[in-house]
Amino acid sequence: MLEAQDIQAEHKDLIHDVAYDYYGRRMATCSSDQYVKVWDQTTEGKWIQTSSWKAHSGSVWKVTWAHPEFGQVLATCSFDRTAAVWEEIVGELPGPGERGTRHWVRRTNLVDSRTSVTDVKFGPKSQGLQLATCSAEGIIRIYEAPDVMNLSQWTLQHEVQSKLPCSCLSWNPSLNKLHPQMIAVGSDDANPANGGKVFIYEYNENSRRWTKLETIGSVVEPVHDIAFSPNLGRSYHILAIATKDVRIVNLTPVEDEQSLQSGVTKLDVQTMAQFEDHNSLVWRVCWNLTGTVLCSTGDDGCVRMFKMNYINSWKPVAVLKGDSSKAQCSSNNAANGNAVTAFSGTARYIKLGSISQTRETPWH
Amino acid sequence: MSEDCPFDCPESQLAREQIRENKKKGRRKWKGGRRVVFQLPELIDRISTFNMSGKLEIQWSPISHKFITWGAEMSLYQVQPLTEELPPTAFKVSDTHYAQVLTTNTNHHFVRSIDIYPKCETDLLLAIGLANGRVALTTFGPSEHDATGFPGKELVPRHSRHCNAVQFNPTEHNLIAAGLDKYRSDNSILIWDINKFNSNNEASHSGRMAVNTMAPAVELVKPIAEFAPSEVTYSLAWFYGSSKLLASGMNGKNIKIFDLRDPNKMVNSTSTKGVFNVCTNPNDDTHLASFYDNQICLWDMRNFEKPIVFIPQNKPVVKIEWCPTKYSSLASLQRDSSVINLYDIKQTVVSTDELEPNVMERIVTPGSPHNITSFSWHATDENRLLTIAVSGSIKDYTVFDRITVNWSTTTIVWSHGRKTLSYINDAFVDDISSHIKDRAKKRYGVQEEFAKNAELVKDNLSLANVWNWLQLTVKLAEGGMIRDTEEKHPGVLSVLSNIDPNQNKSDIVTMAWCDLGYPNCQSSIVFYRHEDRDKALRLCSWPLERDSQYLIDFIDHLETAKAYTRAATIAVFNLKLQLAIEILNRAPNDTDYGSTLNVVAMALSGFSDEPNSMWRQNCSICINKLSDPYLKAMFSFLTALDYNYDDVLNEKGIAVDDRVALASLYLPDEKLLDYMKKLAEELCSEGNLDGLLVTGNSDSGLKLLQKYLDNTGDIQSTTVIATRAFHDDLTSEIVKNWIENYRDLLNSWKMFHERADYDIMLAGFSTQKPPQQVYISCNFCGKSISAYLQNMDKSRGGPQLHKTTTTKAKLSSCPNCRKPLPRCCICLQYMGTTTGEPSGSKMTPFELWFTWCQTCRHGGHAGHLSKWFDEHQECPVSGCKCKCMALDALAGQP
Repeated sequence: MLEAQDIQAEHKDLIHDVAYDYYGRRMATCSSDQYVKVWDQTTEGKWIQTSSWKAHSGSVWKVTWAHPEFGQVLATCSFDRTAAVWEEIVGELPGPGERGTRHWVRRTNLVDSRTSVTDVKFGPKSQGLQLATCSAEGIIRIYEAPDVMNLSQWTLQHEVQSKLPCSCLSWNPSLNKLHPQMIAVGSDDANPANGGKVFIYEYNENSRRWTKLETIGSVVEPVHDIAFSPNLGRSYHILAIATKDVRIVNLTPVEDEQSLQSGVTKLDVQTMAQFEDHNSLVWRVCWNLTGTVLCSTGDDGCVRMFKMNYINSWKPVAVLKGDSSKAQCSSNNAANGNAVTAFSGTARYIKLGSISQTRETPWH
Repeated sequence: MSEDCPFDCPESQLAREQIRENKKKGRRKWKGGRRVVFQLPELIDRISTFNMSGKLEIQWSPISHKFITWGAEMSLYQVQPLTEELPPTAFKVSDTHYAQVLTTNTNHHFVRSIDIYPKCETDLLLAIGLANGRVALTTFGPSEHDATGFPGKELVPRHSRHCNAVQFNPTEHNLIAAGLDKYRSDNSILIWDINKFNSNNEASHSGRMAVNTMAPAVELVKPIAEFAPSEVTYSLAWFYGSSKLLASGMNGKNIKIFDLRDPNKMVNSTSTKGVFNVCTNPNDDTHLASFYDNQICLWDMRNFEKPIVFIPQNKPVVKIEWCPTKYSSLASLQRDSSVINLYDIKQTVVSTDELEPNVMERIVTPGSPHNITSFSWHATDENRLLTIAVSGSIKDYTVFDRITVNWSTTTIVWSHGRKTLSYINDAFVDDISSHIKDRAKKRYGVQEEFAKNAELVKDNLSLANVWNWLQLTVKLAEGGMIRDTEEKHPGVLSVLSNIDPNQNKSDIVTMAWCDLGYPNCQSSIVFYRHEDRDKALRLCSWPLERDSQYLIDFIDHLETAKAYTRAATIAVFNLKLQLAIEILNRAPNDTDYGSTLNVVAMALSGFSDEPNSMWRQNCSICINKLSDPYLKAMFSFLTALDYNYDDVLNEKGIAVDDRVALASLYLPDEKLLDYMKKLAEELCSEGNLDGLLVTGNSDSGLKLLQKYLDNTGDIQSTTVIATRAFHDDLTSEIVKNWIENYRDLLNSWKMFHERADYDIMLAGFSTQKPPQQVYISCNFCGKSISAYLQNMDKSRGGPQLHKTTTTKAKLSSCPNCRKPLPRCCICLQYMGTTTGEPSGSKMTPFELWFTWCQTCRHGGHAGHLSKWFDEHQECPVSGCKCKCMALDALAGQP
């Protein structure tokens, strides 16, 4: 169970992003080689590449799936200053009983940005088909496809100017109809003097505009990734931030007279945890389905996991170690007694084991 | 001022240049007989500090596990994977490798520059640029190169001056270029062909040079090409793609490109101060990098006028090098620093205009304990780097490519560089998500009986308690015990709400201890009776009468569950001290505290209610030393003064049930209500599910569930408990949101059956019938047919949705325009035609259901269509090219 499986992705340059579809049975990867690849899982659990195409004329930074309700739809963004929406279509069928060749067609190319488009994300499905992009020039754009059956038509609904260059964004996935739509944006601006690097925006039904609710002032270092956890009916939102460390922030909507009158949510922002386990810059963060375990990667070459143990107490629980050149296995896990013996060749990553001490750091 | 000092730093070179200029001026001025002002001291200072630092260099060799270092002496090392025991001379360079000195060469002093012959199999051949301008070819001891006659040869320029750079051609290995300081009008770049010089050196003397000011005896070899007369060459680099081209940094003023095929003129040049460490990108001939001070310049050969990017650095740069295993990645080292900066450079062309290159910076810490003086990339191992520090400490470091990661419904995937993705099932993380999945598979929450649900979560006591509580309330409600409340699952708080200290008082019962069989006691105990208090006791599963068989059963049950102290304490709470003593004595010795329990029993038997008795005083002292909360509560209860049981009631270690029951028995009305409210509030704010006993399915119960969810993320239990116990709130926003989240969770796990089970259960609690999901309208007149059907049903009485087909109205034509309904495109029968199935069956078999393609709107009987699409791709309607079955990309997937 602890043995990690490898997929030969064979991109020609660094893989920047990997995205799962809603069910976790399809996967898309994008890379600096300007290609996007789509992978499908067979019944045996093996991943096979089903499509690969040159999507942009620059590094493709991010790739993301739309909810399957809208079909098989991907969005990508790139250094070439564009974002694109792709749809999978079934081509001519070779014959009865066989599956048709499928390929991805570009439905639209969003060319509004004058600089690199650094992130792209579909909005929650309850709001229809919405797409948010952010760019190095610091503009957040919200697009909408008014007709979900026609993916080639997207209208630019909102343009929100942030003061700093944006590097990443995340929609609040809350299904609660009482929560207005919310987006968190991170900036990789390197100057700490420019203040907080995480901004929270909210859509105000009354003014029909996106307004900035909050700047998280405690994060002044460049932010490389940001992720709202699945809300799961909680009364607060959890935001994970990848900066020089892993930050977990709780955003609790405060219901008071003032916010009820103005219709603008007031947020109580509290940093719940700050992990310097990577001992270096943190590159990506992502959540499990219930928002109870956080995964992060850093320049130390490790994938680290942090878990919430009742009432917002977060603890590191596991480290997955990647090594470029050799199969390396070790286990310091006494608690579970997982005997991990040397795998030959294929297994490059294994769980090093549960961490009993909080500040345990493997060094390379 | 010796010119033979081995200065390495570009700064020292610049400084020296200035010294020489000054000197020259000085000399000239001397000649002119005028006064001269030398401004040398500070320059010399700068130089000597560099010199004193004893700068160490490091370089990987073409043999993949060997590297060399040089400073005062040259050493050859080899790197091996770590073994149990290290050889004596070895030292660790990384967590996985150790290095070991093989040989050391001290033959050459004042080494200025070294390059390694790229075609080495087992032994290294070095070209050493020396301070006197010679390039010496040498090896570490006897080698494979001995036969060629290269080792020991020296390539000598006409005039002695520093050799600043030496480099073998990476493609045509036999070519070697040397960059020299200025000597009058002499050329400062010399290129030799080592093959030629070998064959020539004996046969012909054409290689001899006429003049050699330095060492006339030494046999001189003529270079095959010479460039750059009366200039200084600081650095040079061959191009990897076009082997005849050479770039060099000259004079502190410009970078020039020379072509071997046309020695007379340079090919290209640009003026810049960035003349140091000119280096060519091994993967792209158009890229060139160089630096000066704290500025790195990136050049594009196609647009050589000015750098495409300046990369500013905080401190003066010491060295830059392109990473050979990546497309376009430059590493730089700054002075007095223990980190390496990496720059990923991406050039992007959008249609015709070229964007400014994107430079991504990364700082890596190879873990060197001191400031790094030099580094070297491994030629083939991806991202492998060697560093050497001032102290000589060597580190072998592999730079990790940035890892991206994502977490699906079941697996974690992360990238490794450009080639590999790895994935692992997330089941190894013991988390609520895996519990939810397991429990959902076992139909947790949708089991008809509460007790079965409790059984499924018996690993979580408080969850199991909730289900048991639900079971109990239903039983009590059915038994008529708590019938008069409106709620199905009332909490203690609502049960007690009728008690009013003025209007609806409880009866006070006073009982003397001596009547209870404790003749040595004088005082009495007070408790309260009220029918609502009885209900509360029932909810806590406590007996109403002390002497009932129920108490014995209850305590027996606790004893079999090995909760000896709880059983004994409850016996004491019910004033059965004798029973408590028996229980404690009965407790087997094998439990953790079996023998102590006997001691406790002994202590208990000495009970006395005399306020000043020794027993009481000692007990009060000992209570705080007890760790078991129940034993603590037992003695607190017995030693309580003035019927004040706060110590027991605020003891968090004992079950909420027992605290509530005790309060219901012994607290006076006013205090009881206060206590209950306070307890409810406290448990709500903790999100303690045991609090549901107090709150019941009231609004505060809902708040309690929300808090529990906030604490644990257990959306499943929250949702199913809310669904089962809070029927009235099913339409509230908060519960609807929980339900939506839970269904969404099951959906993304593809647990559609479990979700459907839940939906069915939910619909069962709903007072409204589920909304109609399908409407039929006539193709011709557009009028709704389903509306007509509903009306017809209504006229016959009652909603017909769940009725069997036998009574369902059959229509085969539009009731408005009398046009026929659509027909099955396979059997051509009209929708609504009687199927001929025996009318006794409950529902029409699925094959006979009418279905259609959402895109082309053609359809027919499900059975017919699925058979059709087993053999065909296109729609059965002739002329329709719709690939109905393949439209949903996932439909074909298993």
